[in-house]
Amino acid sequence: MTEILLSILAGVPWTIALTAASLLIGTVAGAILCAMRLSGSALPRLASAGIILTFRSIPPIVWLFFIFFGIGTNLLPLSPFASGAIGLGLITAANMAEIFRGAFAAIHPGQWEAARTLNLGRVSQMLDVIGPQVVRVALPSIATYAIGLLKDSAVASTIGVTETAFQAYHVSQRTFHGLDVYAIAGLLYILLSLPIAALSRRLDLHLRAKVAR
Amino acid sequence: MLATAKESRIAPATPGEPALLQVEKVGKQYGAHVVLEGVDLSMQTGEVVAIIGPSGSGKSTLLRCINQLEPPTRGRVTLAGTVIDAARPASNADLTALRRNVGMVFQSFNLFPHLTVLRNISLAQERVMKRDRKQADEVSMQLLTRVGLADKASQYPSRCSGGQQQRIAIARALALEPKLMLFDEPTSALDPELGLEVHAVMRELAEGGMTMLVVTHEMHFAESVSDRVIIMADGKIVEEGPSRELMKSPQSERGKRFLQALKDR
Repeated sequence: MTEILLSILAGVPWTIALTAASLLIGTVAGAILCAMRLSGSALPRLASAGIILTFRSIPPIVWLFFIFFGIGTNLLPLSPFASGAIGLGLITAANMAEIFRGAFAAIHPGQWEAARTLNLGRVSQMLDVIGPQVVRVALPSIATYAIGLLKDSAVASTIGVTETAFQAYHVSQRTFHGLDVYAIAGLLYILLSLPIAALSRRLDLHLRAKVAR
Repeated sequence: MLATAKESRIAPATPGEPALLQVEKVGKQYGAHVVLEGVDLSMQTGEVVAIIGPSGSGKSTLLRCINQLEPPTRGRVTLAGTVIDAARPASNADLTALRRNVGMVFQSFNLFPHLTVLRNISLAQERVMKRDRKQADEVSMQLLTRVGLADKASQYPSRCSGGQQQRIAIARALALEPKLMLFDEPTSALDPELGLEVHAVMRELAEGGMTMLVVTHEMHFAESVSDRVIIMADGKIVEEGPSRELMKSPQSERGKRFLQALKDR
């Protein structure tokens, strides 16, 4: 039993790493997509809308196969982990862009006006005034998405990322234990989600008062 | 001397001195909807002018056209030598030069909720006037003391009453040393007692020689603090004149009706 547990536990760092890497890629790329989406000119706006639609409409597993077996085999060599992080990262980017866009819309227009009236430059308006409030509004949604991503990262087991679900599958194949192995895996996912949820609630309560809506 | 809009051109306080603010034939249109039409207004340094009038008469839009929060679709705004003409797009340099000289106080305060009261006032000093943090904070503390809120410096705006927030917003605008202060219904969101404390600060500012253009519904304030009152209706100035006389005996039909309604309220 200890051996089973240890084998599955070996996948947990990979689950965490894959989730974190996808979130990082997704947040940066999502911010860029959101900026394009809110741009004054039509071209970046349309491009962003197209990219967001594409990333969100295609099932994650198709994306991962496309990147790992397609791009990874024929164009440039990619490890399973890199393929998983890129694939899930791009899907995350599309969702993040929409989360950010909603958060922007939630900021009271008076905040922009006050910033402009005070003659703050565009960069300062964004970094000092609007950005911090957008992050506060977006955080709960980002945390919810992160928990979803943590679970969905299990799809990367299909391209050979040795994360929790991958380990559980192989342990169950090896030991012919099904019920307990997957119960343990499920429990581990719950345990991993709890800190994100708790952190999100704390941040939300703490930050909620500091946004003008 | 009373004047109706058509014949009025208030004589400059000191003849020969150029007006601080010159608004010429300014109009604002959203599609076919006309919000402002051919508004002329001129203000001398140190003058306090109140704009009154029914909702939707274009009072706020006029203020927002002056600092270009809403770019006018017609006419010209000149403030302390900076000219913005609706006929050609304003450059960023022009907008910066203009806004450098004009502060604005909003009905809904618009303090930055994620910054402390002190940071609210210091931020633009550092970014725009390039003061270092220590200098900026010193100026902010002086201003907070002036509006009676030095003890709130380290609080967040959400911990302050509406009246306090508005006084902080005034301090924030003053920190950039504007030549003209615009007030857009600064007490409309406040209950009467809190409105009084904001009025006290504004009265002191006026006595200190600040040039102020104030959109308000407070008759007493318009009458006692401003030198001149402008009545607007349907996007136009229908009447203007020295405060006391105009408030007592308006000449235009529209002005009479509006002031009567204010009194009956």
